[in-house]
Parts: sequence; C-alpha cells; structure tokens
Amino acid sequence: MLRLGNPARRLNAGLAVMAFVLSLFAGRLVQLQGLDSKVLQAKAAQQRVQPETLPARRGSIRDVAGHELAVTADAREIYLDPADVTPAQRDLIATTLAVELNRPKEEIAAKLAKTTQRYIVAARDIEPLRAKKIMSFRFKGVGSRPTYRREYPGDSLAGGLIGFVGFEGHGLTGIERAYDKVLAGQDGKQSIEIGRDGQRIPMTSSSHRAPVPGRDVRLTIDRDIQWAAQQAIERQVRAASARSGSVIVMDVRTGQIVAMANSPEVDLNDWETTPEEDWGNRAASEVFEPGSTNKVITAAAAIESGAVTPDTVFRVPDHTQCADRQLKDAHPHSPENLTFTGVIAESSNVGTIMAAEKVSSQRLYDMFRSFGFGVKSGASLPGEEAGLLPRWETWSGSQRCTIAYGQGISVTALQMASVYQTIANGGVRVTPSIVAGTTDEHGRFVPAPAPKQTRVISQRTAQQIAGMLEAAVGHDGTGAAAAIPGYRVAGKTGTAMRYDEKCKGYCGYTATFVGFTPADAPRLMALAVIQDPKNGHFGGMVSAPVFKDVMTFALKSRKIPPTGTKAPDVVLRTGE
Amino acid sequence: MTTFRPTPLRLLRPRTQARRGWVPLLASLDWGLAATSAALSGIGLLLVWSATRTDPSSTLLQRQAVSVGLGFVLMWLVSRCDLRILRAYVPVLYLLALAGLVAVLTPLGRTVNGSHAWIVLGSGLQFQPSEFAKVALVLALAMALGELRDGERRPGPGAVFLALGLAALPMGLIMLQPDLGTTLVFAAVVAGMVVVSGAPKRWLAGLTAAAGLVLLVVWRLHLIRPYQLQRLMVLTDPDADPLGVGYNATQARIAIGSGGMLGKGLFQGEQTAGHFVPEQHTDFIFTVAGEELGFLGAACVILLMTVVLWRGLRIAARSASPYGTVLAGGVVCWLAFQTFVNVGMTVGILPITGLPLPFVSYGGSATISTLTAVGLLEAVHRTRSRTPLG
Repeated sequence: MLRLGNPARRLNAGLAVMAFVLSLFAGRLVQLQGLDSKVLQAKAAQQRVQPETLPARRGSIRDVAGHELAVTADAREIYLDPADVTPAQRDLIATTLAVELNRPKEEIAAKLAKTTQRYIVAARDIEPLRAKKIMSFRFKGVGSRPTYRREYPGDSLAGGLIGFVGFEGHGLTGIERAYDKVLAGQDGKQSIEIGRDGQRIPMTSSSHRAPVPGRDVRLTIDRDIQWAAQQAIERQVRAASARSGSVIVMDVRTGQIVAMANSPEVDLNDWETTPEEDWGNRAASEVFEPGSTNKVITAAAAIESGAVTPDTVFRVPDHTQCADRQLKDAHPHSPENLTFTGVIAESSNVGTIMAAEKVSSQRLYDMFRSFGFGVKSGASLPGEEAGLLPRWETWSGSQRCTIAYGQGISVTALQMASVYQTIANGGVRVTPSIVAGTTDEHGRFVPAPAPKQTRVISQRTAQQIAGMLEAAVGHDGTGAAAAIPGYRVAGKTGTAMRYDEKCKGYCGYTATFVGFTPADAPRLMALAVIQDPKNGHFGGMVSAPVFKDVMTFALKSRKIPPTGTKAPDVVLRTGE
Repeated sequence: MTTFRPTPLRLLRPRTQARRGWVPLLASLDWGLAATSAALSGIGLLLVWSATRTDPSSTLLQRQAVSVGLGFVLMWLVSRCDLRILRAYVPVLYLLALAGLVAVLTPLGRTVNGSHAWIVLGSGLQFQPSEFAKVALVLALAMALGELRDGERRPGPGAVFLALGLAALPMGLIMLQPDLGTTLVFAAVVAGMVVVSGAPKRWLAGLTAAAGLVLLVVWRLHLIRPYQLQRLMVLTDPDADPLGVGYNATQARIAIGSGGMLGKGLFQGEQTAGHFVPEQHTDFIFTVAGEELGFLGAACVILLMTVVLWRGLRIAARSASPYGTVLAGGVVCWLAFQTFVNVGMTVGILPITGLPLPFVSYGGSATISTLTAVGLLEAVHRTRSRTPLG
C-alpha cells in the first residue's frame, strides 16, 4: 500500500513555490506592460523610427546671361558606424578609406576607434562614382548618404560678392547668405522604420515630405566683364604692392551692377584656406575716406545753389587757412586764376574749399545725404556698410573744409559709384541693384522689382558736372591716364590720406578713379579704388589705368559705340 | 490482490482496449493536460510564424509544425505504454542518451550559438541529444528513486547515490559542450526528484550543502566563464552595456513593454518584425508574445504553463505507484525549471541562459522531447485512472 503523506506534502509545497514564482512573473509583466509601457514604447519607437532629412537641392546663382556662377552637384557623404565594425576589419577599412578619401589613415582609424558612436562623418562632398566604389567593398559599418555639393565654376570669380556655403548647407557670406531663403529651398523629411539589420521593416508606416528645391538667383553681373575687372584690379594691386583693391562697373541707366571685383578675392571652392578678412565683399563693406572724388558733390551743391557756374573764376593760392588748420593743394604752386572746371580738373583742394564756402554747411550735408552717403546703398548686399557722415551741426571748423574735398567723412566704393551713376544719369539716382531676378517654383524667371529712382540734382547741373569731369580726363586733367581712345570719358581722380587703425592715424593713401563713358551719353560707369599702394599713390596714376582697362573691355563687350562727337573746348585757367 | 499478468499481454492492451471502443481510451487521458499542451504548441507555432514572417525563405514554421506533429504522435504512443514496459527499456534509453551526448563531442557534433550541442544527420536534419537525454534522465532517476523495496517508505542512501551517479554522467558530458542551461535543468530535475521521492530531510540538507560547496568551488576557481559572469552583472543594470551583453536584456524589455496591456496584434509587432531581439523565435519567443499579444497574451501563456505544471503535480500526487510519482515529479521539475528560467530571463529578472520555453520556442528536439514528457505524464495518469476500472 502506498503512503503518500510525505511526497504529497512536498508536491503541495512545490505547487506553492510554482504559484509564487509565476505570480512574480505576472507582476513583472504588469510592471513592464502596464506601468513602464509608455516609456518602453517610446524607446522602441526611438530605435526603430529613423527620421531622415532629405536635403533640398540649392538653387543656382547665375550671371545676367544665365552663366552659372554657383551650382549644386550631387555628392555623397561617407559615414562610419564604428559600433558595427569588427575589430579585425578596422585596419583594412582604415587603409582602404584613407586611399579612397585621400585622408590620413590615422584620422580614419581614430574615428573607427570610437566604438560607442553610431554615426561619424568620414568625408563630405565625395563624388558619387567614388562613393559607389567605396560601397562596392561592402564594408560593414561604412555607409554613404546622398548630399549635395556646392560648386563654383569660376573659383574666385566674384568670390566676395557671391559668397560661399558652410558645412550646414547655408550661405555664410555674399549672395549665398543674403538670398539663402530663396536658394536653400526647404529640406524634406522622411521617417521609416528600420530593423536591427538596417533593413526597412516591412508593412510599417512611414512618412515622407518631399524636399522643395531652392530657386535660382540671377545676378546683374556680366561674367566676362567681371572677369576682366578682376584681372585688372588684381594686376594693379600686385604691381602697386597695395593692400587691396576693388572695382565696380555699373549700368548708368538701370543702376545694375555689371561687375564688382575685389583683390584679394576668396576662392569659393577653397574658402577654408583663405584668410577670414578676405571673405567679404570689400567693394560694399570697406569704408574709406574718398578724397577728391568727393569734390563732385561739393560742386553739385555749389552749382545747384546758383552761386557758382563751371566758368566762375577763382583766384586759387596753394594753401588756405580754415579754422585752426592750414590746408594745401597736392602740389605747391603760385596763386593762379582757375575756372571752377579747372578747379575740378586739376583737383585743387583750395579751389574746392572756396566754392564750398558759397554754400551753407547744412546744404552741403543735405547734398551728401541725397547722393546716398551715411546710409546703405539699397543693393541689399550682406556686410554692406553705411559709411560715416557726421551731421553738419557737429562739424568742426576745419572739417567743414576737408569734407568738401573728401576727407573727414567715409564711404564705401559702392556709395561713391552710386554718386557717379547719379551724375551720369542726368541727376537721377537709381538704387544700385545686384540681383536681376529669381526663378519661381516652376523655374520661370521673375525679374526683381524696378529699383527706386530719385532726382538728386537737376539735369542741367548734372551735365555741367559731366563736362567738368570730362575736362579732368583731358590732357591737362589729373585723370588723363583714364582716357580711352575714340570715346569721350568723364571721370575724377581721388588721392586720399588713408586712416589706418594699425598706426592710429593717417598712413598711406587711398587711390581712386571713378568715371563714366560716353561722357555726352553715359552708358557705363566704373570705379577703381586701391588701398595703400606703395608704388605710386595718386589716383590718376594707380587707379586710372584700371578704369581704362576695365571700361575698354566693358564697352567692347557691351558693344557700346563711341558717340562720334568731340569734347567741347573748356577753359581751365584765365590770365590776369 | 491483483494477479500477475505477463508482460506481453500488457503490450497488447491498447489494442484490446481499442476493440472495446474509443470511450474508455479517451477517458483514460488527462484532457486538461493534453489540451493545454496543444494550446501552448499552437500558440508557439503562431509566434514562430510571426517571429520569422519577415523572411519569406524561412522554413522554420514548417519545420516546427512537423516537430509538433511528431511530438504529439510520440506523446500519444508513450501515453499508451504501460509504465512497466517503459521501465524495461530505461537502461537502453539511458545508454542511448549517453551515446548521443558522447557523439556530440566527436566530429559528428556541430556548434550552434557557442554550444557544441548538435548532431547533423544530413541535409537540414539535426538534433540535440541533450534534449532527449532529459527524457532518459527522468526515466532513469524514477527507476532509481521510485522503486522501493518492500517495507520502504522512502528511498535509501543507495538509491539516492545511484540517482546522483546516473545524473552526474550526462551532466558532465553536457558541461563539456558547454551548455550551462541544460546542466542546470538536469540539476533541478535531480534535486526535485530526490525531494519528491520522499528522501529524508537530512539527505536533502546534505545535498544542498554539497551543491553550495560546488558553487563556492566554481566561484573560487574561476571556473565560471567571464561571459557568464557578465550576464549576471547585466541583470542588475541592463543599460550598462546596451550594445554588448545587455543588448538582449534591454531589447527583450523594450519589446515586451511596448506591447502594453492588449498587445499590437499578432503579426503586427514592429520590434519583432525588425528582429531587434536576437533569438526571438527560440529562447526569446516570449518577447513576441509580450509585444504582439500584450499582457493579456503573455499572462495567458504563463497561465497555460501553470495549468500544465499543476496537472503534472496532480498526476504525480495521484499516481498509483511511487515510481509514477517520482517520474511525474521529475517531468514537472524539468518543465517548471525551464519555464522559470526562460520567462525569468526574458522579463529581465534572471540572468540570460540559453533555455527554450517548453512547447512554445522553436526547436525540433526540444519540442519532441517536451511532448514526449507530457506523454510520460499521461502514462502515469493512466496508472491511476485505470484503478477504478480494474
């Protein structure tokens, strides 16, 4: 007979133990699936759902004729997933990638050693074909992601103006920055669920928002004239051992900037190696005291007030006392009788001061403002400066005199160019513009709104000043080197003392030439400014040849014929 | 007094019973146990299907279906056997099991997942001798512990030592594979059967002390492998090394937790489809239940396992012979230990040890041997249920 006593009791105990353990499990399930469920669901989604940015293709920047200045090309980003790389493969991967990506092997190896990370960029902007080759090795832990690469076919052509794009895909300088919203487009988004093996999980939901490509920006720049301007300024800056230089060419009637070149210029395809001070667009951002080119504004104020005509004769000594300072002409001379035209043509400071004395300070100040001094030009260029125009009430005794010939105030090259555009355009200032238009979402060209036009001086005054400026380029004028055979050229030299922060005072010069042609029916104006030239420093010697080269090329390129007229004879000086 | 009946007659008995009609035949089964086993196997098939659904070339579901089918056939056959007949074959089975375990260590063996536990019989056909050894062990220990001499109420020292010896041989061979999980199953089965057999308390105390000593030696001599130690450490903080040892634990927790109370629905689990939990069709199949069937489904699986174990204990308690009691107790110990360790590691309260969840996990050898063990329980059940009839 069986006695179940002892075993039965033990079996009962076993049942109790089992019930206890299994209820423990049930409790744990309540914890995981009830209490912690939300947290764990979020964790699950986080590791499964991979949001991905679909980069938008950035729009192109083109010149006025549609030539590409900045384009976006397909590229690949090669990335590493060090956690997925087996230690045995590391060396092989580092060696191979070092060769393919043209990077030091140690750099790749160091990235591969960070095994706690899942995404490290090995190289950006890789050619799709090269990336394809790298992916053909089928290394575990090496991936390729489609991106875009910004390319600048002209390298440094209009570098400061166009600007460049940073690693994040947004414009950092120039038009790239100013028009980033237009160019960048809108990145798309996509989220898909990825399994442990990196494959998409079947039958899972996904979201997709297609990227909106960026729109194109068409500049008013003419690629060829820009190139000529850049060559010319670069050559002269080097020849004169100058610090820097800029050239602006503008269409007189439309205010459109045809060329805007600087030297040194940033190489947009290699901007990282360019010193940061050369990244910008000096023509719009560098502020300097203009010197004699400023005399046209004094002349405009004086003629507009009716106090002076081009034929008014001044007896001009080579120096004059103004408040506490003795101000001189550039070259010593005995007192002579100069017409006002002669004063401008020979760029007499004393004569200009005498003309300015016939106008009130406020009137002079208002004229500067009307010509655009002290405010940004309106061309919406990033980094553009407004210059420095002190209010007339604050002018010191001698400042009133120096401002008349362009010392004691400061402007940008673009502001000064705008002054000469205004004179050339019969006294009507057209806000300078750099963007001709953009494309809309269908790729159709939409022209930029017409720039603002403001009459600054009367047409008669403008023509009189043009005549005086033409005399300045005549053989007795300071700007004779700017003369272009066959064309009537009007222009003005400027040789200003240059304020230098490094020497806390005036050191060196700013040499300028600005003018337009044909003088009797102006089409194009150009400005050349060279900062701190060492070989020669007169605007007529250093900058006038640059003007001549650039303008000669631009006239040919634009097929602008000479007017065929002859410059009228002008009287610069009279006898006793 | 019952008359002695010669063995051959017993062999024929199912047939004679069959002639008498199906009713008594079916009545002799523990239907609760059979139905629960079938339900668990069915759930297992669904979960294996779900776990492998993203790989269209996978034949694991078909293979598991064949295993379940074979298992139920074996279960039926074993349940029809007379225990005394089975007992006659125990030495043969035991030796066959030992031979299988030795064969694994020869070039016939094959390593899967770090464990040298497989024998390959040709294209796609392979089995795990250690799984079948569990059946042999339970039978052999029942023979050693459950056959009391006249007047004995509990097994003597000789019987206990014989049992320990019979268990030690296969355990040693399995340790060599190495397969810590299965070794622990064997240890649990031995311990459980000794307890159920009614061995004196001092023996139990002595055995516990001996086991403790062994653990201490293993610890002191650093016989435990570093990865096993790491698995223990990870238990306390799975996030310490989320991509390494803790990966399984973390992913299992995430998969189960993301199922919530009602689950995402069968075949709807994204974590399962993404194969985030390694071994999700075998050792970690419970995560699939957790994610797709939710707390309701997972608790249901646990409940069904509880029913199996409860029916097993009930059969052990009601067995007509100590042999049946010990045999059934051994089977329950086996299934209980494996369930505890498997579910425990999956829900993150026990260290990770490679043990399948009985009935549910994918695995031919495990499925067939588990269902065979259920057959043993049914056979024990019949010895009791026969009594009122005869």
